[in-house]
Amino acid sequence: MIMAANAAPLAGASRGTGAPPVFVARGLTKSYGSGDATVYALRDLDLEIQQGEFVVLLGPSGSGKSTLLNILGGLDVPSAGRAAWRDHELTGVDEAALTAYRRDHVGFVFQFYNLIPSLTARENVELVAEIARSPMPPEEALALVGLSHRLDHFPAQLSGGEQQRVAVARAIVKRPDALLCDEPTGALDVETGKLVLSAIARANREVGATTIIITHNAAIAGMADRVLRMGGGRIVSIERNPHRLAPEDLVW
Amino acid sequence: MRMLDRKLLRDLWSLRCQVMTIAMLIGAGVAVLVMSVSSFLALRGAQLAFYAESHFAEITAEVKRAPRPLLARIAELPGVATVEGRVSGDVRVDWPGAEVPVAGRILSLSGSGDQPALNRLRLLAGHLPEPTRQNEAVMHAAFAEAWGVRPGDGIALILNGRREAFRIIGIAHSPEFVFTSRQGSPLPDDRGFVVLWANEEGVARAFDMQGAFNEVSLTLAPGASEAAVTAELDRLLLPWGGRGAYGRRDQPSHRFLEDELAEQRILAVTVPVVFFGIAAFLLNIVLGRMVEAQREQIAALKALGYPAFPVAAHYAKFVAVICLLGSLLGVTAGAWMGAGMLNNYRPFFRFPEMPYLLPVWLPLLAAATSFAVALLGVYVALRRILWMPTAEALRPARQTTFGGRSLGLLGSRLGAARKIPLRGLLGRPLRTCFTVFGIAMALPMVVLGLFWWDAMDRMVDLQFDRIERGDAFVSLTDPRHARAVRELARLPGVLAAEGQRIVPVRLRAAQQSRLLALTGLPSNAELRVPRDADFRPVPIPQDGIALSRRLAETLGVREGDIVQVEMLEGARHVQDLPVAALVEDVIGFAALMEIGALNRLMREDDLVSHVALRIDPLEAGALWQHLAERPRVAATNVKAVWLRAFNEVIAGLVLTSAVTLTGFGIIIAVGVVYNSARVALQERGWEMASLRVLGFTRQEVARLRVLGFTRQEVARILLAELAVAVFLAVPIGLLLAQWILGLILGARDNESFDVPAVISSGTFAAAALVVLGAAFASAVLVRRRIDRCDLVAALKARD
Repeated sequence: MIMAANAAPLAGASRGTGAPPVFVARGLTKSYGSGDATVYALRDLDLEIQQGEFVVLLGPSGSGKSTLLNILGGLDVPSAGRAAWRDHELTGVDEAALTAYRRDHVGFVFQFYNLIPSLTARENVELVAEIARSPMPPEEALALVGLSHRLDHFPAQLSGGEQQRVAVARAIVKRPDALLCDEPTGALDVETGKLVLSAIARANREVGATTIIITHNAAIAGMADRVLRMGGGRIVSIERNPHRLAPEDLVW
Repeated sequence: MRMLDRKLLRDLWSLRCQVMTIAMLIGAGVAVLVMSVSSFLALRGAQLAFYAESHFAEITAEVKRAPRPLLARIAELPGVATVEGRVSGDVRVDWPGAEVPVAGRILSLSGSGDQPALNRLRLLAGHLPEPTRQNEAVMHAAFAEAWGVRPGDGIALILNGRREAFRIIGIAHSPEFVFTSRQGSPLPDDRGFVVLWANEEGVARAFDMQGAFNEVSLTLAPGASEAAVTAELDRLLLPWGGRGAYGRRDQPSHRFLEDELAEQRILAVTVPVVFFGIAAFLLNIVLGRMVEAQREQIAALKALGYPAFPVAAHYAKFVAVICLLGSLLGVTAGAWMGAGMLNNYRPFFRFPEMPYLLPVWLPLLAAATSFAVALLGVYVALRRILWMPTAEALRPARQTTFGGRSLGLLGSRLGAARKIPLRGLLGRPLRTCFTVFGIAMALPMVVLGLFWWDAMDRMVDLQFDRIERGDAFVSLTDPRHARAVRELARLPGVLAAEGQRIVPVRLRAAQQSRLLALTGLPSNAELRVPRDADFRPVPIPQDGIALSRRLAETLGVREGDIVQVEMLEGARHVQDLPVAALVEDVIGFAALMEIGALNRLMREDDLVSHVALRIDPLEAGALWQHLAERPRVAATNVKAVWLRAFNEVIAGLVLTSAVTLTGFGIIIAVGVVYNSARVALQERGWEMASLRVLGFTRQEVARLRVLGFTRQEVARILLAELAVAVFLAVPIGLLLAQWILGLILGARDNESFDVPAVISSGTFAAAALVVLGAAFASAVLVRRRIDRCDLVAALKARD
């Protein structure tokens, strides 16, 4: 049943362009412990994601969302199976290869922002621009998230929503191929959360980054191309939105 | 990596108090290293330079009276390079202004007007005596400086009972008298003891030594064996009353200098090791926690694509800046203290030059050591985070379960706010141990600084109140019948007089041998009372010999073992004697026998060579005058004068070390307490922040504060944890102090002084108060910081 649910949408995963998927995962398994005490975060999961697609991963805690995102982002490695981004293998390679992959292709947004407190908004963004191959000017990235007026503020001088938007700017300044967001609104209230989602949607649109957002908030699903629901380490259902909602139209 | 460097500068600035306290800690370790190594090198450098320049003899022998032609035979001995014979003798000095009799030693110069071949003088002023002048003398610089003597001044000497006037024509240093003291005294007595050099003819005439010599010095040819030459020399001198040849090891000035150098070498190693150990340990904790506190920042850098190396380099730079700062402080302070230490040495060791030198490699070594030590501390914490899967590092550090403790009955009696500090301590037992141990390490430093007063008190008490119970000690020009004691006892002002027979001997046991003075005491002696380790009087053995415990350890013998005693006076009998008792002493090595037994061993009548006196202090002045006029009295040592000199010299040294080490103790206490408080503050910030993760808004967290977690509350919780740690640390620190003191004193190898590892309760109390005070001051600093900062604002960003 599960396999069927997993397998069925694969054929129709593409948005009809016929282009090959950018993310491919086959038989991904992540387990901790051994013997009877083995805990599975992911079980034999298959997945394909297309270029530029906006995917929302929904599911309760422990369903494997973060583990999946971490593996696709090159932050973690599976116990079994393989994952690849275009021609970059993300499994069976060393830390240096994963670091290069993250640096050149991936933008991350974390639930707790993870900004450097001793650097201003502009400097936090510049920190990534310094190691990127063809970054946009940090000011432009901050303008994209609506923070042109807060360039020289330190994180402690920014609200939570503003800090998260700095984190979004930091993620997109390198013009990433993939934008991976782990509960970006988890620590924010509704209105602030919408501002952050708008920034992410705009980045997806204007930078063309394939975007994956993890959330436990089903309301966010409306802005996705595809919604993957996870449970017990597997994808239990896949929905395709005929029309993506603008973040400001979301209701939760 | 411009942004990382900018982060570095901002982090350093925002953590400036922590950075400074850690830098000072490193500085303290570096300072001790620089101080002890540089002063050791300066002392050693001065020694080597002076010995080489002045052709310091390698073997010396005293003989009763040997004919000059014997010197040519000595020069022919295989392994001998240069030989010099001379006449030497003890003199009394009639020195106006001296409140106690001044003693001296006069040594002959060849009379050619040239420097001797060995033990050359370094003239500071004036010149050597003209060949024909018999009443000109060169004076050693120590006495000259103490009394302001200049060339041209006069001095009256009593040579072999005859008074003669000399004119001082030169002031000089000598390699034989780098450390100048009366025989057997471990402290310089510059005002009471003088060394003089005069032409041979006059000196020989005074001591009936024309055509003869009573002292010979020589140097060895390359590769020659000191033991073989010594044995041959002894054999040649034996018929002429040889008193045993000895190498530099038994030359008093050299031995005292070597003892001090050995002590410095040990201090140069042990104290910096203790300090760097503490510094490494604290840096490990403090920098480790600092890195731990930046865990999510480090993880974010990794997630953003920063390779491990630049991240590690970033933290290495952080450490490097702190170490550089600490090393600059430490090298500056260490050079200053090293120069000060050398100045403390100047009254003890008279070198023509003793420049303070700071070799370039020393600050570099100190800085590199501190950097390595600090880096180690950071590396452990950093490695954990860098090697951790990035995904895991990104998650907040796992909350402690506080061991699931219910705190038992105690818990039910305490309010929630009081449980927090208790849980904080019990929940992270390892960290609590580190903090407690870190604070505890401050105590040994303070104790090490202050205990010298206790040790000196104990030394003086043991040696001068319990063992040497006389007030003055008279040396006779040659051994006299015991009737001499009764004569002295009849002098006005003498309350009691006791004769002693002191004979130079060589003690042998297995491979070890030592030259020392064997003292014969009456069995009912009251003015010299040997004591055991518990200070109880030890009866003077009728058979056998009593040795000081330290001497027995050096010779490797125990009570009941046999030692071979070679008399170096008279017929030079050799006798095996059992070790009948072990006694305590503080200064030098004691070897004791019953005086009658010693006289029998010497095959001599009831002779005494020294007399201990108890005197009436009111008549002391007149008594010194009487003694000075007696022809058979060679010298008089007065305990009160000696003690005053001891206190003057030692007090300065002890004060310097006490102030320095107490300062270091304060640096450690402040370093640990302040940094622990700051780290705890950061962590509590996290705990408060985690409330927001659970869904609390900023406003709600603020409300929570209003509901109970006021700033004062947070401060109280934090500081209560530290207060408990400090109070736990004090007794542990005192135990550590005792242990470390034992370790350092145990590593000493000094025959001149035995420093007892005694710590008085006053010293313990003072050390505890210093540490408590430093802890309190740090707590006040942190408390002010809590009061100043807006907790809620601090929560928004983890710093």
